[in-house]
Amino acid sequence: MKSVGTPIDRLDAQRKVLGTATYAMDTEVTKVAHAVIVTSTIAKGSISSLDMTAAKREPGVLAVMSHLDAPKVMAGKGKAGGAAERILQLLQDPQIAYADQPIAVVVADTLERAQHAASLLVVKYTNEAAVATIEQALGSASTPKSFNHGKPDWSRGSVEVGLVQAKFKLEQTYTTPNQNHNPMEPHGTIAVWHGDELTLYDSTQGIFGCRNRISEVLGIPKEKVRVINQFVGGGFGSKGTPWSHTALAAMSAKLVNRPVKLAVTRQQMFSLVGHRPHTIQNIALGCDAEGKLTAVRHDVISETSRFDEFVEPSALQSRMLYECANISTTHKVVGIDAPTPTFMRAPGEASGTFAIESAIDELAFMAKIDPLEFRIRNYASSDPQGKPFSSKSLRQCYDAAAAKFGWKKRTPDPRSMRDGHELVGYGMATATYPANQQPASARAIAKPDGTFLVRAGTQDLGTGTYTVMTQIAADALEVPIEMVRFELGDSLMPETPVSGGSMTVNSVGPAVKQACIALKGMMAIARPEDKAKDIVAEIKTELAKDHDLYSMHAFGAPFVEVRVDEDLGTIRVARVVAAYACGKILNPKTANNQFVGGITWGIGMALQEETIRDRRTGRNVTRDLADYHVPVHADIPPIDVISIDEEDLHVNTIGTKGIGEIGITGITGAIANAVFHATGKRVRELPIRLDKLLG
Amino acid sequence: MPSAGCRVLAFARDWSPHSASHVEQRALRSHLRGLGADLIIVSAHQAWRIRPDDEIATLGELAARELARAHAIKREDAVIVLDYDHASIFEHRGPVVDHSQLLASLTAATEAMLMPAPTTFTRRGWMSTCLVSGFATVVLASCKQHEHRDPVPEPAVVPPPAVAHEIDIELDVNGTTHKLRIEPRVSLLDALRERLQLVGTKKGCDAGQCGACTIHINGKRVLSCLTLAATAQGKPITTIEGLAEGLGGGALHPLQTAFIAHDGMQCGFCTPGQIMSAAALIKENRAKTDDEVREQMSGNICRCGAYPNILAAIQSVRGGNAG
Amino acid sequence: MNPFSYLRPTTEKEAFAALSQPDTMALAGGTTLVDLMRLEIMRPLHVVDITGLPLGKIETGVSSITIGALATNSDVAYHPDVVAKLPALADAIRAGASGQIRNMATTSGNLLQRTRCPYFRDASSPCNKRSPGSGCAALEGFTRMNAIVGTSKDCIAAHPSDMSVALVALDASVHLRSTSGERSVKVGDFYTLPANHPNVESVIQPGELVVSVEVPITPLAATSRYVKVRDRWSYAFALAAAAVALDVQGGTIKAASVVLGGVGTKPWREPAVEQALIGKPATQEVFVSAANLALATPDVRPDNAFKVGLAKRVVARALGLVAGGSK
Repeated sequence: MKSVGTPIDRLDAQRKVLGTATYAMDTEVTKVAHAVIVTSTIAKGSISSLDMTAAKREPGVLAVMSHLDAPKVMAGKGKAGGAAERILQLLQDPQIAYADQPIAVVVADTLERAQHAASLLVVKYTNEAAVATIEQALGSASTPKSFNHGKPDWSRGSVEVGLVQAKFKLEQTYTTPNQNHNPMEPHGTIAVWHGDELTLYDSTQGIFGCRNRISEVLGIPKEKVRVINQFVGGGFGSKGTPWSHTALAAMSAKLVNRPVKLAVTRQQMFSLVGHRPHTIQNIALGCDAEGKLTAVRHDVISETSRFDEFVEPSALQSRMLYECANISTTHKVVGIDAPTPTFMRAPGEASGTFAIESAIDELAFMAKIDPLEFRIRNYASSDPQGKPFSSKSLRQCYDAAAAKFGWKKRTPDPRSMRDGHELVGYGMATATYPANQQPASARAIAKPDGTFLVRAGTQDLGTGTYTVMTQIAADALEVPIEMVRFELGDSLMPETPVSGGSMTVNSVGPAVKQACIALKGMMAIARPEDKAKDIVAEIKTELAKDHDLYSMHAFGAPFVEVRVDEDLGTIRVARVVAAYACGKILNPKTANNQFVGGITWGIGMALQEETIRDRRTGRNVTRDLADYHVPVHADIPPIDVISIDEEDLHVNTIGTKGIGEIGITGITGAIANAVFHATGKRVRELPIRLDKLLG
Repeated sequence: MPSAGCRVLAFARDWSPHSASHVEQRALRSHLRGLGADLIIVSAHQAWRIRPDDEIATLGELAARELARAHAIKREDAVIVLDYDHASIFEHRGPVVDHSQLLASLTAATEAMLMPAPTTFTRRGWMSTCLVSGFATVVLASCKQHEHRDPVPEPAVVPPPAVAHEIDIELDVNGTTHKLRIEPRVSLLDALRERLQLVGTKKGCDAGQCGACTIHINGKRVLSCLTLAATAQGKPITTIEGLAEGLGGGALHPLQTAFIAHDGMQCGFCTPGQIMSAAALIKENRAKTDDEVREQMSGNICRCGAYPNILAAIQSVRGGNAG
Repeated sequence: MNPFSYLRPTTEKEAFAALSQPDTMALAGGTTLVDLMRLEIMRPLHVVDITGLPLGKIETGVSSITIGALATNSDVAYHPDVVAKLPALADAIRAGASGQIRNMATTSGNLLQRTRCPYFRDASSPCNKRSPGSGCAALEGFTRMNAIVGTSKDCIAAHPSDMSVALVALDASVHLRSTSGERSVKVGDFYTLPANHPNVESVIQPGELVVSVEVPITPLAATSRYVKVRDRWSYAFALAAAAVALDVQGGTIKAASVVLGGVGTKPWREPAVEQALIGKPATQEVFVSAANLALATPDVRPDNAFKVGLAKRVVARALGLVAGGSK
């Protein structure tokens, strides 16, 4: 009886419903000291004086750490130095680079004492005028120095020629705002020194990245840093690499000679742990009379900080989404006085598919071709960038979702469908996300009592890692699932990559499978006396060679029905039907939840989410969950997800493509398209709210 | 990874991992983290090493005998604290050291850390002093009264004098009365999490905007982050840890079962709040249709987006539709 | 949050004595005070928990319903007499906050809640309401959620309560008590405009407690509704809202009450709209044309100008719903 492919209950569900799943800040540390980060109230300049007298006088205050006395650490770019590395703000100097930047840490014996003492710091600044938005500095947009996905600019053919050839063409600008991840669990770290060894209980998507970076920052060997995180309360990219608070926790623990618990406040979640940057995307499209694309141009400008470069790669999917001889994509960044952005659920594809999928619909409308039909006519059967797809079942996704949704009922004219006060709109789009993979290791142990223990130092952020890895192991060992226990979340376990880019299952799954197969082999030749002890197999995988030969992507097709109140302009998503083809689905129950979660993020991104920065001061005006809207129960309608079975022999040895991020791609375009269909109004700036529809 | 930390050696003839309850083991680990120390327990024929985040490691009979020989332990029990250089800085030999006494000693040691460290101490010196004073206080005191041992370890050191504004309160949580001495500004959420180690209730925003901290007071769902602990006196408080109580040992509340079956969670951080909110919603008996349940559950945000499954779980318990 | 002393009196005498001390504030449900104390916006040195006082009853009389100051929002919103006789009030409370907050928040707390203006809630922004004379960071800042009527050059903070809007529409009165006696003030007169003293928000005096709110039972009140429009479908403050009541006899409007929420520094009564309804037939055309008289002289900014049109449509929609008797 195989387990992979069956919808077994999430194995950690019982702990979660009982409240016994331990998140980082739940770790019990007797008499832990509490630390609170104090942040700057200006966006640019420097601290001219810092008066700690009142703060230090408060009962229970153990220390106030600032640039005046913080230990010297390495806050700059590390040896790893890639796009994920960022410069941290670790109280090494009085410079202020963004609003709400860490400027001090107050440590006290209770949280209340630390919080109140923090409010008593008297800080004076030398304030400089800050540039708070891209719009204030467009002239300085420049090509980024590094780019995670080949080159920032890529083209084929000639877009100019293609536009000349086009019967229908458009050029439009689409924008997405600054957005914040806001996982339910705020970031936080508990730092415990055992002599010169450090244990960090840190809410992170990457325990090894955290270990490596902190060891570099503090200048201590990696072997002396241990990172433990058994459950992550959501991350969505914001916990992919360490931020300042983790190092500050370790530094203040050393300063006060006590374990320190440092929780990032919800307000600080808007400045200390990254954001999806504001993008301005210019798209030009052209097609012939039959709707075949003759030109696709997608130019992106996004914001980054003054001191670090992060690029939101919003034009990436436009290189491969549709067949076209003439494609051009560029990425530029504008450095402003803001924090460094970071990966936020489907970085690039989430923001980019809003633009391209809106533009495709606009062009289809001009050409008077049904939007689904238009996409089918431009189906790319191999990646326009040159490689064949390892597998692509987008056509089946379109067909299945369209049929279930009832796309045929759509009358093409805007404002042609209504129900009482509500204008009804049907919209659809293409979803896509790459199938990423990195090398990973896993250890499989046969215990003397006949059970099995499998370990990999990976993460479960609600992604179902505990469950699917156990299923993979059970099948590879050919034993019932009850005989297998899977453990993760400790940097003493075998090393695996960050849980980002939808690649945990693609990377760790094969390692678990191979380790279990190797273990079976060892057990087959083991002598009876060997079986009285643990038998251990450990494997490190290589990247599947086919990654060089094929373009590997998951695809999908979301269809949405929106209802817009014709007088009030309020928008609601009435239903969603979406089909996804993501290779092998290991557990349909947990997978369905992930797809729905991504779609929910898409609804939030399309209709609600925006972090406002005050142009005068560069400070976030949006600083809590009352002002930053994410979908609540009442916003989410029935969502029907169809999983298209897909076999891909090239992606990896378990045939998965990853599912965590594809749900948010495409759907923002589908919603914008549906709103257009309902109202006749095309909104090209997210979020789409009623004030953009009224008047 | 060789440990370079402080080490406590406890020679306890009759100890074994099985004799320490789950609660005691949890407390031991919590104290070891607080002290940055690890613990080796040597019984008559076996030795174990306890590090806060690892399984109890069996060191073997040979190791047990070696350690006993190295510290000249014959037939008595003892507690020895070793410095980072493995030099012995404290020894007590004598009456039976059992796990509750061990725990009390570690508690005392961590209490001792409340005293400000003299500036002349190195960190290592300070750690050792805490352990020494902790053990000295408890283990020596126990010489006089080892006939009267509390089953549940209590701190042997008197808590520091109340700071101005601290008050004594009693909270009835999940049917148990807890005495606390806290400042009035302590929220019920922080009282539960930081002082009672009931960490099932989560802090998502500390501002009443997300619902993760939802608990019951008098059976009604409320936000513990906006409730001052002092105001919750005299009222029955129920947290996720106590929801299933009264249903018979080990049983789950029907909502807990339903959340598992319908996969009403992903990361699980909002889950205790969702379940507490849903349990109260069902008692309120005002929400019937899917839309009404959605509306009345909107005070619990789920960023992972498990909403449809949560709705299905609730409706399955209510007997409603979830279509 | 600053350290403070905590007292929970069991008699009004004790409560008044405690509240007469300087730097002292009353605590009821905590949903405003605990929140703002944690932000270091409100900083009493002494907190008096008044929930021990016997002010929680909801009593239905012949001509009015008297709601105790400490009755929770949930208790009021689901009270059968409130639902039957004062539907706009039930609607309005249920449209606000969340189930948990409604279980904690009290009638007087809801009345006295503070603005959600982000500059008020940020201790380091200039704010005349928090600290008179320091300036108003909102005027030239982000104003999408701020007021467009009742404003001054010193303050444009919107009053966030849904309940209060309905209470004004239903002609409710606030009963206040102090050691010197009792007085009643119509909810419509209870709130003050910011003018040049935005730190003062209502006529309540130091040493006074709200003891109850009394709402008349009338045919007008029985035909009332609250409609709220916001940026998501629940758990959000109003962009624009309207509490309306209509007394229609033989198809003609005899009496009307129209009060706007989400747009004013206090609940905003619209006498011009009310006058335009009285004596007219209860038709949607009449409702729309009367609603268009609302907000005649708004003080708008680019990011909140849309509220003028929206508020008018909300009024028209609410009138249509209350006349049609449907949801």
